[in-house]
Amino acid sequence: MVQALRRVLLTFFFLSISTSNIFASASDASEAGEEPVIDVMGTVADHDYFKTPLGKIYLPRIFYWENANGESSVSFFSSTKKALASDEFIESEEGAIVPAGGGSIKIDFSITSHLLYYWFGMGLAVLLTVAAAKRYNKGVGRDVEPKGTFQNIFEVLFLFIRDDVARENIDHHKADKYVPFLFTMFMGISFMNLFGLLPWGATATADLTVTATLAAVTFVITQFSGTKDYWAHVFWFPGVPTWVRAILTPVEILGLFTKPFALAIRLFANMLSGKIMIIAILGLVFIFADLFGSVAGYGVGIFSVSLTVVLYALKVFVALLQAYIFTLLSAVFIGMAAEDHDHAEEEYYTEHIAE
Amino acid sequence: MTFLLAGGGGLLSFNTGFAIWILLSLIVFLWVMTKYAVPPIMTALKDREQNIKESLEAAEEAIAKAEKISKDNEKALREAEVKAQQIRKEAVEEAELIRTERISKAKEEADKLIEQARASIEQEKKQALVDLRKEVAKLAIDSASKIIDAELDNAKNQKLVDNFLSDLSKN
Repeated sequence: MVQALRRVLLTFFFLSISTSNIFASASDASEAGEEPVIDVMGTVADHDYFKTPLGKIYLPRIFYWENANGESSVSFFSSTKKALASDEFIESEEGAIVPAGGGSIKIDFSITSHLLYYWFGMGLAVLLTVAAAKRYNKGVGRDVEPKGTFQNIFEVLFLFIRDDVARENIDHHKADKYVPFLFTMFMGISFMNLFGLLPWGATATADLTVTATLAAVTFVITQFSGTKDYWAHVFWFPGVPTWVRAILTPVEILGLFTKPFALAIRLFANMLSGKIMIIAILGLVFIFADLFGSVAGYGVGIFSVSLTVVLYALKVFVALLQAYIFTLLSAVFIGMAAEDHDHAEEEYYTEHIAE
Repeated sequence: MTFLLAGGGGLLSFNTGFAIWILLSLIVFLWVMTKYAVPPIMTALKDREQNIKESLEAAEEAIAKAEKISKDNEKALREAEVKAQQIRKEAVEEAELIRTERISKAKEEADKLIEQARASIEQEKKQALVDLRKEVAKLAIDSASKIIDAELDNAKNQKLVDNFLSDLSKN
């Protein structure tokens, strides 16, 4: 328990250092975004098209919308252009799509590049796991040693999640139940992060909606695995004076929500900052070329490109690290909720009640 | 701020439709994982771990057994050695006994032979003495008769010599 808390604190400390540059980068980036030469924000924002090395594939738009009369309906278009070509929607001055005859889009179900990369990442994780499961079902890895690179690498990752993340932080008899969730999260987030490193790729985890939803799922799972002790410690502190409870209970309830919030923001900010940093540093080449001529552009290019190479290596590491941190903290939160307090701690509380 | 509204999740905005997509697909992914993908792996790994544990335990047991057997063997060997030593000692003793017996027997036999030889020699000696006496008497008579010849009566002389000889043998 103490170890887990120390780990959380260390993680916070580490992240406070590693994420401190995001604000600086973001402001740089938005300034750079004003320049017509390079679109910084465009590379990190979600799009209605899927970029490939060969070109863009426009994605379908699905709207659940309400017209001016208050009637709701669902519309499907194969692309944004088609949606605009139909007379039902027009582009507003801000660039958003709005119903032509007034009213509003209530929920935008459009397939976007981030959603696709989310599906790729999570789907690849599931596919690989299913492929591995087939091998294990055949007896490879069960009756004999695991064979081949794929299965060995897979097993390293799987055992890492099972032994070092799940069993380390969650009570032993409960830990195995959470392995599928934790493994899906770790592999899915890793793949999403790594797909984001493709020059034409988008980082699904650099999207607050994605990370918030993932964190919300962790939150729900955490609360559903909460034991009686856990809820007692949230609402009613055994062995604490009544007036202190008035302070502690709100703090503790707030704490329930800050944990997944931090989870979501951490992953989002880390992945976004890396992406913005790289595009901003590479953008310097074009900005300098624009301002001082092509020679300056080449000069800065040497600096920018070498720095980007280093950053890319760092980002590969960060991609896996952030996936690990998300999974680890999920496990820690679940473990804290699902913990059965041992007898010594109960005695401690009864002693305090006696006082 | 067009990019914020370009569809899907914006940079800092939360898009409900997008979130619903993600939540639904995550539920599907998690369902597949919990239902089909992970359990076979978990059971396979558990089986394997159990297998390895059991194998190790069995190996340890076998080693203990082998050690016990080798210890037993060693003990038996030592016992056999002691027994062999004893048997050898006994054999040596017995051999010694037999040898001394044989030697004493041989000595006895030899003594007996010597005794016999001595007896026969004694007898021979006696016989020889008797023969010698007869020969000497005869020689004496012959010589005396040659000396005196007609002078003396043969029968008288014989008696004289006999007397002399019996005196001689008495001495």
